[in-house]
Amino acid sequence: MTIEEGVKYVAAAYAIILAVLVIYYFMSARRVTALQRDVQLLEDEAKRLQTPVGEAGAE
Amino acid sequence: MNGWAQFKAIVRKDLIRELRTRDMIVSMILFVLLAMVIFHYAFSVKEGADLTYFTGGMLWVTFIFAMLLGLNRSFAQEKDEHCLDGLLLCPVDRVTIFLAKTVGNLVFLLIIQAVAVPVFTLFFIERSYLGDVLPFLIVLLLADVGICALGTLLATISMNTRSRDLLLPILLLPLIVPVLIAATGATTLIFAEGAGLADLLARVLFLLGFDAVFLVAAWGTYDFAIGE
Amino acid sequence: MKKLVSAPALFIGAGVFLITGLMLAFWYSPVDSSSMGFSQKIFYYHVPIAETALVAFGIAFVAAIAYLRTQDLKWDRLSYVSVRLGLLFSILVMLTGMIWGKAAWDTWWAWEPRLTTFLLVCFLYAAYWVLRSVVDEEQRRATYAAVFAIIAFINVPITFFATRFLPEGLHPVVISAGGTGMEGSMFVSFFISMIGMTLLLVALTRRDLAIENLKDRVTDLKTSLGG
Repeated sequence: MTIEEGVKYVAAAYAIILAVLVIYYFMSARRVTALQRDVQLLEDEAKRLQTPVGEAGAE
Repeated sequence: MNGWAQFKAIVRKDLIRELRTRDMIVSMILFVLLAMVIFHYAFSVKEGADLTYFTGGMLWVTFIFAMLLGLNRSFAQEKDEHCLDGLLLCPVDRVTIFLAKTVGNLVFLLIIQAVAVPVFTLFFIERSYLGDVLPFLIVLLLADVGICALGTLLATISMNTRSRDLLLPILLLPLIVPVLIAATGATTLIFAEGAGLADLLARVLFLLGFDAVFLVAAWGTYDFAIGE
Repeated sequence: MKKLVSAPALFIGAGVFLITGLMLAFWYSPVDSSSMGFSQKIFYYHVPIAETALVAFGIAFVAAIAYLRTQDLKWDRLSYVSVRLGLLFSILVMLTGMIWGKAAWDTWWAWEPRLTTFLLVCFLYAAYWVLRSVVDEEQRRATYAAVFAIIAFINVPITFFATRFLPEGLHPVVISAGGTGMEGSMFVSFFISMIGMTLLLVALTRRDLAIENLKDRVTDLKTSLGG
């Protein structure tokens, strides 16, 4: 097999590896930010629901 | 009741129950014989095709699939009739249950093989391998133990899932491939060319090792597989 | 909490090692003199990925044992995150292995030890996922998955051994003591890539674990709000 042909296969192999890993990385990064945002929203919501009750209780 | 007595009791219960009705064993035997016929038609596309070197493979594929049916059947029955729950209420060591069930399944498999092997020989084997019967039986028994031990452990798990019997083949088959490799190689060698223990040493030792490792592994984990 | 989740240092570290390894593989290590020629260069990522996959399954194995002992679900989480990553890496091994096979032997598939072992590994851990998907109750699912992860991992070296040393043809083959002996320059590139892949595994594991923990937190918050 000549070097030219070999290069095609090698390039393909590395391209697949890097593509898959990079895609996975970005997908998981997006998932993390989405989830963190959800947690933040839910926590804020929980706090908001708690405060009126707290004030009522304090009285 | 000590462990040994409990073990014997459970094995006897399973055997008696099955031998009384005989539905599982009869069905499995019929299945195995039918499979052989199907193999003939599946492979004999070419006129006078020589299947000698396929014999080991055909035999073990048949046994493995028969075992899948049998394991599913026996554990499904247990689950539907809540036998296992009853057993768990008694102060029986879980490991004893595992060994008893494995031995019970092993006995069923051996009974089926006792019928299947002569018929298989009649259908597919030209040369006599009587001289190598002992190595053949050793390979048979060792492979059976591996299949039954893992099969019992995994059937216990799969029966308690949503998929029930559909799950067992998926879990068991990948694990059992090494046994298949060793057993079919050894069996084909015996059928096709005749082989003594010396020729089969690598495979026999491998099967021995496989059985030892997975008996211990199943031993250690069965408590969890069966626990509630 | 945020810092722990993104752990940029690990990813950057992994990236540095991987890219360095890649450059070394092409510009420092010699072209293979055997018939494989240039396609041998695939080895520098292919083998580290394979070994990293096995490390991932090993982590799953240890985590499974830890779960069975402690009944703490955090170990179950580590276990299935590791299995998922291991499966991802295993699929990569298969793909690159097939490409390498095409380049070296002009065939996309061969029933040779490495490809078949990883094929079986893929089936094994795919079965793990199917098992998890058919059990609804959390603790029971974790228990069954742990048992299977343990059995599966024990089976991996056994399968390696069987496909390599039990002759497929019936007669004993002379096992050529094929060298893992690499000359120095090859080893350096390989080793650096290996470190890179392992760091990547650790980084991805931490992130995936964090995702699972966050998902759990979201569910908890939702139930406490709804309830």
